[in-house]
Amino acid sequence: MERKHFLKNGLAALGLAAIAPLASACKKEADSTDGDSSSGTETGSCTVSPTETEGPFPTKSPSTLVKSDITGDRTGVPFTIKITVKNKNGDCSALSGALVDIWHCDKDGNYSEYGGTGMQSTNYTSVHFLRGRQTTDSNGLVTFTSIFPGWYSGRSTHIHVHIYNTAGKSLLVTQISFPEGSDSAVVAVNGSGGTSYGYTKGMSGYTYKEKDNVFSDDSANIELSTVTGSLSGGYTLTHTINVAA
Amino acid sequence: MYKGTIRLCYRKVIDVHSVKPWDKLVFEDTYNELLLQSQYYNQEKKYTSFSDLITHVPAAEKLHFLVSAAVIGYLQQLQGKVPDLLNSLGRLFLPFNNYRFEIINSDLLHKAKHQVAINFFSDHLEWLDTINNQLLLSIPGNLENGEQLTELFTIPPFVSVYSIKPTANHGAA
Repeated sequence: MERKHFLKNGLAALGLAAIAPLASACKKEADSTDGDSSSGTETGSCTVSPTETEGPFPTKSPSTLVKSDITGDRTGVPFTIKITVKNKNGDCSALSGALVDIWHCDKDGNYSEYGGTGMQSTNYTSVHFLRGRQTTDSNGLVTFTSIFPGWYSGRSTHIHVHIYNTAGKSLLVTQISFPEGSDSAVVAVNGSGGTSYGYTKGMSGYTYKEKDNVFSDDSANIELSTVTGSLSGGYTLTHTINVAA
Repeated sequence: MYKGTIRLCYRKVIDVHSVKPWDKLVFEDTYNELLLQSQYYNQEKKYTSFSDLITHVPAAEKLHFLVSAAVIGYLQQLQGKVPDLLNSLGRLFLPFNNYRFEIINSDLLHKAKHQVAINFFSDHLEWLDTINNQLLLSIPGNLENGEQLTELFTIPPFVSVYSIKPTANHGAA
């Protein structure tokens, strides 16, 4: 059995090696990624055919955004984010099965994104951090584990949220703001206590909500979350978002 | 003679004509991820083609990066070897950790127009010599009884030398 298999593959390889140069000679370069190339490279190589045991069959893999721990390789004060989604069109009952995308900056104010403007390469194992997607449960709740966001010039501390229905249709794009009083987590994390966790910016130059161009019109505090906890024990954010589903 | 340390780049184009199972999964999942995430930049649903979207909403350039989240799981399944590229013995051999995903074309209403590319950047390779049309390469650290093991490789279309670091004082060992 094994020998037969070997002979078959061997002959196939020889046959391909013989016709491949002809085939590729009259092939347009742009076409070289098209067509059935299961017996050779995808690149129009006419020198070798694969003679390796096939690797494990590829399996369906969800987006790497789908995860509850979105920390990635970032460090900072532990942070739990609990968002409840309710349906304005359903007497504000819990909306289950909704997709919730969130993203926020790291302790230094940076988002995960490609570096540079050209085709710089990026290590695929660490490229996505502090971005995640969860599906709401029967209580409309999603929970993410992360690190407390830092801040950057011109913006108050915030988390971006994009909510989709089960079918992936966009329902709402919004942002969540944080309490900023003297006893708030924002002040504690960015104060002297936060430096041992790597938060080194302080509050000098910080843009408070009232001056933030996204939150300054939120006088009813609809976008304002509740944050509890401590530096040593980590913080937990809870927030409810109403959508029209 | 010894040329230096190089990295190769392979631009793997995937579109509706791709037939390999891995390619088809990448095609499907990157399209679905684009449908989801493009809505952020297209809230008034004014654009359907990717080129119109990035022309009129420059921030939508981020979609190259954002949609790449759909690819990472498939990159992990490659177990660190650049796909499709074989050495002269017919084996996959090129180690990689770096990539760059790009959306070449797409349309939110016409899936058949979806075309993406994954650029695979190899790890560092020693380019020892060129024999006929083949590069004699070695992967640093690939030793057997004190001998540096080597790879012979013919550069096919869609593969280029991405970077080179010439080493002046390196002999042709």
